[in-house]
Amino acid sequence: MTPLAALDYYEPWWAQLAKSVVIFAVVLQMVPLVLMMERKLLGRMQARYGPNRVGPFGMVQPVADILKLLSKEQSRPHSSVGPLYALAPAISILTAVAALAIIPFGPVVDIFGTDVGLYGIDVDIGILYLFAFGAIAFYGLVLGGWASGSKYSFLGAMRAAAQLISYEVAMGLSLVGVIFTAGTLSLVEIVEAQKGMWYVVPQFVGFGIFLIAGFAETNRTPFDLPEADAELVQGYMTEYGAGRFALYYFAEYMNMIVISAIASTLFLGGWLLPFGIDPPGWVDPIVVLAKIFFFLFLFIWIRATLPRLRYDQLMSFGWKVLLPLATVNALVTAIVVVST
Amino acid sequence: MAEVVFFVASLGAIGGAVGVVALRNPFYSVLALVGHLLSLAALFLLLRAEFVAAAQVVVYAGAVMVLYVFVVAYIGGADRPVRTTGPGLGLAAPLFAGALFVELCLAMLGSGLKAIDAQGAPYEAGFGSPGQIGELFLTRFLLPFEVASYLLLIAAVGAVILARRRRGLEEEGLEDVPTVTVADLFRLEPGVGTQAESGGMLQDRRERDERERKGGW
Repeated sequence: MTPLAALDYYEPWWAQLAKSVVIFAVVLQMVPLVLMMERKLLGRMQARYGPNRVGPFGMVQPVADILKLLSKEQSRPHSSVGPLYALAPAISILTAVAALAIIPFGPVVDIFGTDVGLYGIDVDIGILYLFAFGAIAFYGLVLGGWASGSKYSFLGAMRAAAQLISYEVAMGLSLVGVIFTAGTLSLVEIVEAQKGMWYVVPQFVGFGIFLIAGFAETNRTPFDLPEADAELVQGYMTEYGAGRFALYYFAEYMNMIVISAIASTLFLGGWLLPFGIDPPGWVDPIVVLAKIFFFLFLFIWIRATLPRLRYDQLMSFGWKVLLPLATVNALVTAIVVVST
Repeated sequence: MAEVVFFVASLGAIGGAVGVVALRNPFYSVLALVGHLLSLAALFLLLRAEFVAAAQVVVYAGAVMVLYVFVVAYIGGADRPVRTTGPGLGLAAPLFAGALFVELCLAMLGSGLKAIDAQGAPYEAGFGSPGQIGELFLTRFLLPFEVASYLLLIAAVGAVILARRRRGLEEEGLEDVPTVTVADLFRLEPGVGTQAESGGMLQDRRERDERERKGGW
């Protein structure tokens, strides 16, 4: 009855319910951790302390921030369009969370005598599911910027639109090589196809393109043009405050986690360890989380290191460098796959 | 469950389609069209056509409608409602819509409505999977597939030609705009952009070097 489930084993309803709650809870708990990590690491890299007042080592700071935002008054500008203004952050967070469902944290394992796959769903269309929600996520940004009725928000939204279209193409093409090599779209099967060698080795060009496009898709420095605070105040979320701003903020970090998870699944072998080490089943999700945190560290490192690109540099880099490179990568991979 | 989803998605699709023509503000029309396309994707999911549903969202609700939203938001017109361009269009549009409706009715009634009491085609494992669709594209529908690819290629080349920089425009007023490349980062004097510079230590060192070169002691 469930259209989005290509299961070849029986999975009881309580297992599906339990694992969706667990995946959601675990990843949601990661957001404050990432917030803390980012502020501490940025502080370290800029020769200062970072937050160190709330709780031991300032560790409770994100909780204080979130509580502050949630307890503030909701307000909106006179020129804004009410329903759309309220809807836009909800779209952003919805699509970010929905993308979590396809990330595999481990193979099918035996829990209390029933087979449970350590992932939300394993769909035939795999990566396309991610891109479908990425396409809807765009409306979260553009509606937010447009409905705010402010010129800074609007400019940010327009930049977000142009940037997302440009880099989504390169991102999709960079993954074609992985799909060719694995011969499947399902993320679980792609991980299992990486036994022996992670795809970061044969597909290093695709990996590089995916990472760069991932930075652009999540609006992170050096591609944070949609919210460039030096020019646009805060871009599409300029007029947002209190809980709705918290939603946007959450969605941004959730997107970072999703991109990190996809990168570690497709290129770093998901739950697999190198050199044929085969640990017991309960280690697998920890391996995936460790790889995710590696990529999150990379995100923060790059933010502390690189300055923001100019808008025309961003566009010409996406269309004139990344796109042809991704196309050539797909072509070469196709030739190699067919000839061997 | 499937019935509920079907009726919600169908109502969404019909409501979206009506909204596209009924709404006066072009931006809301475009949003209604997005809602319509998403509802269609939900209907495809119910038919177990996962790939078609994903393609519908990625290509139409994603790429194509993004451009619509982009253009409508940029050109504005949100405060200026659309008007029909004359009495001719107002007359011809219902005429064509009616003709299309009659044609669809003929096609449907022509099948004798035999399927109305039947269970519908049975579901086969692997139906609608990307693998199966790809195989059909490269065997049974090879010619239409290739023709469509050429059409897309021509459209892409056409867009590039239309949008290229015309002669006489390229260098006008652009000479004195300073351009910075990545290589410039390495051409700077050593120490520029560091904390030593912001603390004034670099300046001190430069002055000391200058004094030493002049031999001012």
